[in-house]
Amino acid sequence: MYEHDVLIIGAGLAGLRAAVESVRLGVDTAVLTKVHPVRSHSNAAQGGINAALTDRGDEWEGHAYDTIKGSDYLADQDSVEVMVREAGDTLIELEHMGVIFSRDEEGRLGTRAFGGQREARTFFVGAITGSAMLHVLHEQIMRNDVRIYEEWFVTSLIVEDGVCRGAVAMDMRTGEMETIRAKAVIMAAGGAGRVFEPSTNALICTGDGLALAWDAGASLMDMEMVQYHPTTLAGNGILLSEAARGEGAYLINADGDRFMENYAPEFMELASRDVVSRAEQIEINEGRGINGNVLLDLRHLGTKFIEEKLGYLQEVAVEFRGIDLGESPIEIRPGMHYIMGGIKTTIDGATVIPGLYAAGECANVSVHGANRLGANSLLDTIVFGKRSAIAAAEYVKTVGRNGSSDSQLESDKKRIQEILDRPQGIRWAAMRNELAESLTEGIGVFRDQASMEGADAKVDELRGKYPQVSVDNKGKVFNTDLIFALELDFMLDVAKSICQGALMRKESRGAHSRTDLPDRDDENWLKHTHVYKDPDGLGGVRTETSDVTITKWEPIERAY
Amino acid sequence: MKYAFWPGCVALGGTPELYTSTKLVLGKLGIEVVELVNASCTGAGVLQEKNQKLGDTLNVRTFAQAEQMGLPIMTICSTCQGVMSQAQHAVSRDSDYLAEINTDLAAEGLEYHGDTVTKHLLWILVEEYGLDKLKEHFVVDLSGLKFAPFYGCYMIRPSDALGFAEVPERETSLEQVIEATGAEVVEFRGSRACCGLPILFINQDNSLKMVATHTGTAKDLGADAMVTPCPLCHLNLDGFQGKAVKKNRSSAVDLPILHLPQMLGLAMGFSAKELGMNKHMVSTGKLQDAVGELAGV
Amino acid sequence: MLAKLRVGRFDPETSSPEPYFQEYELEVEDWFSVLDALIKIREEIDGTLSLRCACRASICGSCGMRVNGRAKLVCKTKLDSVWSPGETLTIEPMGNMPVITDLITDFTSFWDKVRQIDPYMQPTGPEPEAEYLASDESMVHLAGVMNCIMCGCCVSECTVLEVDENFIGPAALAKAYRFVADPRDGKAEERLKDLNEPTGIWDCTRCMQCVEVCPKDVDPMGRIMVMRDLAMEAGVKSTAGSRHTDSFVNSVKRSGRLNETRLTIESIGVMNIPGQLAMAPVGVKALLKGKLPPVRDHKIPSKKAVGEIVKKAEGKN
Repeated sequence: MYEHDVLIIGAGLAGLRAAVESVRLGVDTAVLTKVHPVRSHSNAAQGGINAALTDRGDEWEGHAYDTIKGSDYLADQDSVEVMVREAGDTLIELEHMGVIFSRDEEGRLGTRAFGGQREARTFFVGAITGSAMLHVLHEQIMRNDVRIYEEWFVTSLIVEDGVCRGAVAMDMRTGEMETIRAKAVIMAAGGAGRVFEPSTNALICTGDGLALAWDAGASLMDMEMVQYHPTTLAGNGILLSEAARGEGAYLINADGDRFMENYAPEFMELASRDVVSRAEQIEINEGRGINGNVLLDLRHLGTKFIEEKLGYLQEVAVEFRGIDLGESPIEIRPGMHYIMGGIKTTIDGATVIPGLYAAGECANVSVHGANRLGANSLLDTIVFGKRSAIAAAEYVKTVGRNGSSDSQLESDKKRIQEILDRPQGIRWAAMRNELAESLTEGIGVFRDQASMEGADAKVDELRGKYPQVSVDNKGKVFNTDLIFALELDFMLDVAKSICQGALMRKESRGAHSRTDLPDRDDENWLKHTHVYKDPDGLGGVRTETSDVTITKWEPIERAY
Repeated sequence: MKYAFWPGCVALGGTPELYTSTKLVLGKLGIEVVELVNASCTGAGVLQEKNQKLGDTLNVRTFAQAEQMGLPIMTICSTCQGVMSQAQHAVSRDSDYLAEINTDLAAEGLEYHGDTVTKHLLWILVEEYGLDKLKEHFVVDLSGLKFAPFYGCYMIRPSDALGFAEVPERETSLEQVIEATGAEVVEFRGSRACCGLPILFINQDNSLKMVATHTGTAKDLGADAMVTPCPLCHLNLDGFQGKAVKKNRSSAVDLPILHLPQMLGLAMGFSAKELGMNKHMVSTGKLQDAVGELAGV
Repeated sequence: MLAKLRVGRFDPETSSPEPYFQEYELEVEDWFSVLDALIKIREEIDGTLSLRCACRASICGSCGMRVNGRAKLVCKTKLDSVWSPGETLTIEPMGNMPVITDLITDFTSFWDKVRQIDPYMQPTGPEPEAEYLASDESMVHLAGVMNCIMCGCCVSECTVLEVDENFIGPAALAKAYRFVADPRDGKAEERLKDLNEPTGIWDCTRCMQCVEVCPKDVDPMGRIMVMRDLAMEAGVKSTAGSRHTDSFVNSVKRSGRLNETRLTIESIGVMNIPGQLAMAPVGVKALLKGKLPPVRDHKIPSKKAVGEIVKKAEGKN
C-alpha cells in the first residue's frame, strides 16, 4: 500500500499543472498516469491558448463574452469569469517556466486569431502549443522530483463513507495491483474521444476518469455536448488545427466557393466550431462535397509561411496524405474532437464527493457550455488544474489519517482475474468498434430522437454482453490486451451518460443539434443535464437538471 | 571518361597505398584523371563544427576549380564525398548563400556556378562505368572469399544530401561491387555504422570498442576481409585493430581491411605488393594466399 | 492486399526468456501506416502482442520501433514506403534500451540522462512581472528543438551508446541545447562547462544516425556541433575535442591540407606525456610500415589563398 496527501490521476496539462502547484504548496503529492506524462493527449492541442492580456489593450470581459456566446449560453458565467480573469497570470507563469511562445516585433508574446473571437488573443508555439507546454510542465516535474506512478492504470476509486480516499491501480509493468491511499484525489484523466470512431483523440482517450468518478457517485454534466472539429482528416480522423484558419486558410466546397459566406458572413471560417462543422456537413449532405469531405485551402499563404507558422500541419499533410499545403488544398471533414461535458465541479475543482476533485477535459466547471472555443481548452486545464490543487491542499489539512482497508483492492483483483480466466468470448476490439460506430451515428453533428435512442439501445445491448469479453493475453507484464478490455468497460459507461444526456435535452443548443427540435429553448432548457450512475434507476441511471448561472450576459440570438 | 581527381588528404598522407592502388585500377579501367592539386582539405566535418560556412566555402572553391576545368570530380574518400555532397546540397538550395561564398572566392578569381558533379569512385563504377564493363577487367574470380562492406558514415548519411532518393542504387553500391568480384557479401549491422575515428583522440576507449565490435562481428560471420571506400575508416579499422581487439575481445580477429581499389586490383590480377597491401598494419598474408590459390598461382 | 510482418517478440514471464520473431499475415489497405498494421494484428489476430502507441499523429512519441532495422515512428511511416507486396516487413523494438516485452522498451536510462542536463529553464536576475522579452527569431529557432517528442529513435540508433551506455546521448544533448540557446536562460556557460565533461558533447562521433532517423527533424547532432563551437567560443578549451578541432583548422590554414600526425599529437596534448606514450606503439609500427606521414605539412601551391579564407572566416567567428 502506498500513501500520499494528494493523488493526481492523469499527467496531461491539467494533471501536471496541478502537481506543480501542489508541490509548490508543500503537499505530499503523487501523479499516476497510464502513459508517460509526455505521451499524454494534451500534446495534440496545436493552435494555442487564449488569454486577454490587459497590458496590451485586451480585456477579460471581451474574452468572457466570446466564450459565453461560443457556449451558446450554456456556460456558467461565474466560472467563465474566473477562467478569463486568471488567464493572463497563468500564461505568464507558463512563460516563466520556459514555454517558448511566439513573439511580436518588440519581443513580447505574440498572438494569432482564432475561431469565435473578435480579438486575436491566442498565444502559441507554431502548431505544437500543447506539446510545448506539456514538455515544459514535465520539466518542472523533473526539477521537483515529483513521485510519478508511470504506466499505472486505475481500476477504481476508493470511496469510504461517501468520501474519496484514494485509488486502486495496476502497475502495468509488473501487473501487480496496489492500493494507493490519498486524502484527496484530483481526477485529470482527460477526454473520451475513443467512444466515437473516427475521432481526433489518441487511442488512450477512453474516458477512464469520467467513468471512475461516475462510478464513485459523481455527476456527469452536459455529456451530450460533444464537439465535432471542422477540420479533420477522413479515415483515421487526425486533426488539422484551427490555427490554419486563424492564419487565413479558406474552406471551399466542390464548386470552389467559400461556403461560410452563407452561414457566418461576418466571421466566415472563424465562426464557432459547431457552426462551421454544421455548415460543412450541410455542404456535404447537399452534394457539394468531395468524397464526403470539403476542402481546406492554404495555398494563398505560401509554403514558407505555412512551414514556419504551421509546420506540424504541413508535416501531417505530407506524411499522412502526401499533400504540400502550399501546393494544393486538402480534404477535411467534421470529426469528433472534444467532450464539453464532464465531471461536475465547482470553480475550485470540487465534485459532489468530498476528497474528489477534477480538472481538464474530464471535468465540467462549466466554462465551455454547449460549444468550446478553440484555444480555451488549454486555458481550462491550466487555470483549473492549478485551482483544484490549491483547493485540495486546503482540504487535506482538514482530513485525518487514512484508513487501511483493502476491500476495494480485493474486489478489483477478483474482477480482473475473472476476465483473465474467461475462455474465448467476444474480442474487446470488435465490441469497441461497434460501440464507437453507433455513437458516431446516433450522436453526430446532427441528431434526432430516433438516432439517439438507437445509440442508447446499442450501448445497453453491449453492456449486457460485456461479461463475455475475453482476452488472449493471460500474462502480467504489460498486458495491454487486458488494459483495453478494462478501458472498454469505462467507455460503455461514458457512452451511456452521453446518450442519456442527449436524450434529456429537448432543444438544439451548440453542439447538440437536433433536426427534430432545431431551435434553442431558453425558457425550458437554459439548464444543465446531469446523469448519475444508479443501479436502481431506469437503465442504471438517474437524471436531473440544474440552472445555468448567468451573471451579466443575458442570452441573445447567436450569429457569426 | 575523364574526371578532376580529388584523392583527399588521407590518401596523400596516412594511407598512401590507397592513392597508388587507385591509380593502378583507374589505368586498367581506362579512366583518365587530372588531379586537383590546388584543392584544399574538405574539412571532414571537423572544420564544419567550428565554422560551417568556412567548410562550405573551401568545398565550393574546389567545385569552382573543377568547373573551370570542365570536369566532374572523382573522390576516393567517403568522408570527402559526404562533406562535398553536403556543401553542394546547401548551395544548390540557396542561391543567396552561394553568392555570399562566391564573394569570398573572388580574391582568387574563382566563381562557382553550381554545376559540378562530385562522385566517389564507387558510385562512378555502379552508375556510370557499369558493373558488366567492370567485370571484363577481372581476371581472378574471388568466389569463395567473403568480404564485409564498411561504407563510412558520410557515404550513408544524411541521405537527402547524398541523393539516395534520386539514385537508390547508391545505398547498396558497395555490396554490388563486392558481388561483381565473385566474392560473397557478409551482411552485418556494422556495415553502415561509425568506425570510431572521429573520437579516437577524444574517447579512445569508445573508439576502440567500435573497431573491435565491427571487425570482430565481421570475422565471427566468416569474413576474410573488410572492404571500405573510406581511408579514414581504414586508419582506425586497420591501424587500431590490434589494440582494439586486445582491449575488448578474448579471441583474435586479424581481419585485413582493404581499400575499395585494392579489392578491385586483386580481381584484376595485380599483386598485393603493387596494391600496397604490405603497408597495412593488419597482415594481409592469409588473404594473399587465398587469392593466390584462386588465381592458380 | 496481403502483407507479411515479422515481429519481434519477447515474453519475460517464461522460464528462460529469449527474444524471437513471429510472422503474421494480414489484409492491409493502401492507406495503412505500419502502426495500422500492428494495431490490426493486436486487435484481430493476436491480443498478446504488446506495443505502445497513442496519438497516431506523430506528436506523442510512443511508437518508436525498428522497421527493417532502423528506428522509426511507426504511426507516420506509411506501410508502402517500407514494404511492397511479396516482401516481409521486419518490426523490432528499439535498440540501446532494455526490452520489457515485445515491442515495449524501458526508457529509464533515457529519462535519467535527460535529468542529468538540468532540463528546466534557469533564468538569472530578477523575475519580470510580465513575460521575458525575447526575439521571435530565437523562439522559432528553439521551436525546432522543442519539436523533439522524446520518442527515443535517435537513442536507439546512436553508435556511441552502443559501446558506451554512459554517453548522455543525442536526445538529452538536443534538450540541453534547447536551454543553452534560450536567451532567457542564464546558465549557458555553466551548462556548456558541464557538457564539456566526458560523456558529453565531445563524445559524439558525428555519425549522423540521429539526424537521419529523427522523425521530427530535430537534428540532434547539429545541435551538439553548435554546442561544441559555443563551448570553444566560451573559452572552455580543456578537452581533446577542442584541441582536435583547433589543430585541424590550423593545419588547413597553414597548408590547405590536413596533417594527421600533428593532429594526433596536438589532440592528445603536446604536454600529455602518458597520452602520447599510449599512442606511440601504433605510431612506431606505422613508421616501420612506411606509412606514417611526416610531421611536416603537405602544402598545396595555393595554400596562401586557403589561409586567407580561413583567417577571414575566423575573423567573423
